[in-house]
Amino acid sequence: MNLESFQTRVLPVKNKLFRFALKFVGSEEEAKDVVQEVFIRVWNGREQMNEVQNWEAWCMRITRNLSLDRIRSINRKQTHPIEESFNVQHEALTPHESTEIHESMQRINQLIASLPEKQRQVIHLRDVEGYSYNEICEILELDMNQVKVNLFRARNAVREKLMKINAYGL
Amino acid sequence: MLMDSNRIENLLSKYWNCETSLEEEQQLREYFKGGDIPEQWKETAALFRYFEENKKKTLNDVAFDAAIIQNVQPQKKGKLVKLFYNSMRIAAGIAVLVMAVWFVRKEVRDTTPQEVVDTYDDPQLAFEETKKALLMISKSFGTAENQAKKLNMFNEAQEEIQKKDKSKNSKL
Repeated sequence: MNLESFQTRVLPVKNKLFRFALKFVGSEEEAKDVVQEVFIRVWNGREQMNEVQNWEAWCMRITRNLSLDRIRSINRKQTHPIEESFNVQHEALTPHESTEIHESMQRINQLIASLPEKQRQVIHLRDVEGYSYNEICEILELDMNQVKVNLFRARNAVREKLMKINAYGL
Repeated sequence: MLMDSNRIENLLSKYWNCETSLEEEQQLREYFKGGDIPEQWKETAALFRYFEENKKKTLNDVAFDAAIIQNVQPQKKGKLVKLFYNSMRIAAGIAVLVMAVWFVRKEVRDTTPQEVVDTYDDPQLAFEETKKALLMISKSFGTAENQAKKLNMFNEAQEEIQKKDKSKNSKL
């Protein structure tokens, strides 16, 4: 792989890697550092890349491993939900509706952040990034069964909580 | 794209059971993007919007790509400097080697005795001198031979005595 194909093929996945790293490390600055390190590793291991079937999943896996390393080295548990702000702009919505949506999204954010780590990763990879089950297996180094179980649990935990919110308005 | 609520209901139940394909999940996301969502799916819509919004999050750094490229690319500007640096390293290595060889040679020369040095420029003179030296050796040999002849006389005398002794013994 030469520099040009690195630039046109590999670099564009930076946002996916960034979002994934962000799920682990929690701060944008650190996530950026992780992604930078991932790219340098990918570049240094570019000879290997021809043997890798799905290089994007490979990049994601490196991102995951480096993110975990970073968390360990900082010796910090990511228990606090990430403060994310959402800029929801739908022209069809009134300001009131827009605020309401914003609030419910904050709730969902907290809800997903409270999931166990694996479930959080799986739901992110599937529902945000749209990876296939096979790719998720490769990224997280899990077997198909584990991936499906984790996704099922994650989605159902979310669903239950959403139903509670609906029923009691919590 | 408007989808009837039955179809959405169906897709959603498949979704919660993790039986939806990626395309179906995309359809759900598309549907919940719209504004006209029935009350019962308000929170579900928020979930799908949350996914969509999450996907919009990007690495907000224009200089990021450039920084990566700079990191992975051997810098062009430094190429000449690097070449110079490398050749200097090789030159230094060679210099050290040459010095080492010179010192070793010097050491060997100092410790071993000097080889014979050519002292004569004129071949004729050299020949005369060689002849003189050889003659001197030859003369010494001659003297030595004369001396050895004297020794020989003793040898002969001894042999004579031994012969006589033998003949005397045989007679007895």
